[in-house]
Amino acid sequence: MKTKVVLNFNPELANQPITHNLIAKHHLMVNILRAEIDEIGGKMVLELSGKADDIRRGIDYLKHNGVGVRPIKEGVRRDDDVCTHCGMCVSICPTKALAYDPKTGKITFTEEKCVACGVCIDACPPRAMEILI
Amino acid sequence: MSTTEKSKKGKPGAKSYEEIRKKIADGDAVVMTAEEFKQFVKSNGTKKAAAEVDVVTTGTFGAMCSSGAYFNFGHTDPPIKMQRVWMDGIQAHAGLAAVDAYLGATELDETNNMMHGGAHVIEDLVRGKAVRLKATAYGTDCYPRKEIDTYVSLRTVNQAVLLNLRNCYQNYAVATNSSSRTLYTYMGKLLPELGNATYSSAGELSPLLNDPYYRSIGIGTRIFLGGGQGFVIWEGTQFNPGVPRTPEGVPKRPAGSIAVIGDLKQMSPDFLRGLTFTRYGSSLGLGIGIPIPILDEEMARSCAVTNDMIFTAVFDYSQQSRSRTVLKEISYAALRSGEVEIKGKMVPTSSLSSLYKARQIAQLLKTQILKKEFMIEKPVQNFSLERVFKPLDVRTEKEAM
Repeated sequence: MKTKVVLNFNPELANQPITHNLIAKHHLMVNILRAEIDEIGGKMVLELSGKADDIRRGIDYLKHNGVGVRPIKEGVRRDDDVCTHCGMCVSICPTKALAYDPKTGKITFTEEKCVACGVCIDACPPRAMEILI
Repeated sequence: MSTTEKSKKGKPGAKSYEEIRKKIADGDAVVMTAEEFKQFVKSNGTKKAAAEVDVVTTGTFGAMCSSGAYFNFGHTDPPIKMQRVWMDGIQAHAGLAAVDAYLGATELDETNNMMHGGAHVIEDLVRGKAVRLKATAYGTDCYPRKEIDTYVSLRTVNQAVLLNLRNCYQNYAVATNSSSRTLYTYMGKLLPELGNATYSSAGELSPLLNDPYYRSIGIGTRIFLGGGQGFVIWEGTQFNPGVPRTPEGVPKRPAGSIAVIGDLKQMSPDFLRGLTFTRYGSSLGLGIGIPIPILDEEMARSCAVTNDMIFTAVFDYSQQSRSRTVLKEISYAALRSGEVEIKGKMVPTSSLSSLYKARQIAQLLKTQILKKEFMIEKPVQNFSLERVFKPLDVRTEKEAM
């Protein structure tokens, strides 16, 4: 199975080989979708692939070491009352999580495809997109 | 009766405004949205369409920068002749009589953070919110007061009128960016190296693209405006009918536009929104719908135009000039497909105009006409097709004469 998670960690944890341990000790395939670090700490968006039990144990390992772990669904949110379905976001979304549905004329947001890159945030004219990580 | 009207009367399927108005008033009118009408013509042809259909409803929802609203706030005691006016920190133009002011949609707050502008204040008012009104004055014998700081809402003001100088552009450009940095423009975020392309027209649903030579859209045309009813009051600024056109007469560049007016108190945030274009500023997202009477077969042919027959030009917005080079011409059908070829590269496209809301407006307008809540009007005067769009150059007084 596959799952996407958002990780938050403090500066002390930044020096630990967390990703390596997920691969070596928990037999997970790790795809780093986004990674950044500053004086407040680090943020990472990972796609984890492997057996369900290994993923569960890998996430437990992260939490046990003080890493904040959240599902990607909590990465970017669209306020559907604010969205006007113009479609500005469609051509800049690198993973096509935001897409135009020709049948309804609406813009769909598939949270599972979102990697919380944030390029849609300042591109949205009515400001319907919010990044939470 | 003019010669044209006489000859029209003789044409089979031709209808007068009076006939269509009577049908609407009697509840007998056949009304279709522009999308429904195009399907009908495809199956039945323009002759049958002209004979059977009375009105076609069009719609668009997009960023319309040249917009604003004027207000009359009522008189204070003692009275004030407002010289400078701010509404929620956004300056309104006050060089009018004592308590009138015009708030422009793109006016930004004085910190110039570009996030909050006149359009947002107008939306807040439409949402029923109260906004802070501040005004200063120099004081006169008849208007002694020199300042006021209070709150107003659509309930407290006398007039609140949306008055827009240029809306509803008949066609618009496609913007892309060949430079190595992201550009932030009124056409949205343009990614480097032809990373994307944006366009801003409802295409086949757009009002003026269904009436390419402004036969039924003129001064006095009643329109759906921001959720209420309004009127076309003049040609829009920069009106430019002489651009290149397709053999069917559809302009291939930004051409006509309309100036409109309507009561803000009737409007709804569903169709009126403050928008923010990063590093450009604010604009007003506005919904406009225009009914087009099918007076004859020629009108039916105009309204039958589909996205594959409507073309526009692609421009490179990294070219900082008023006359950018046309990279290519492209149809709205291609733009709607989500990807277009520019300079040998497949480029993803984005619309800045909401097709979803455009459809909603055309549908709502159709329902209102069928329920006899919306009556069509014959223009009291048509737009001039002779108008040209002139540039501004640095010139001497003599050269300007």
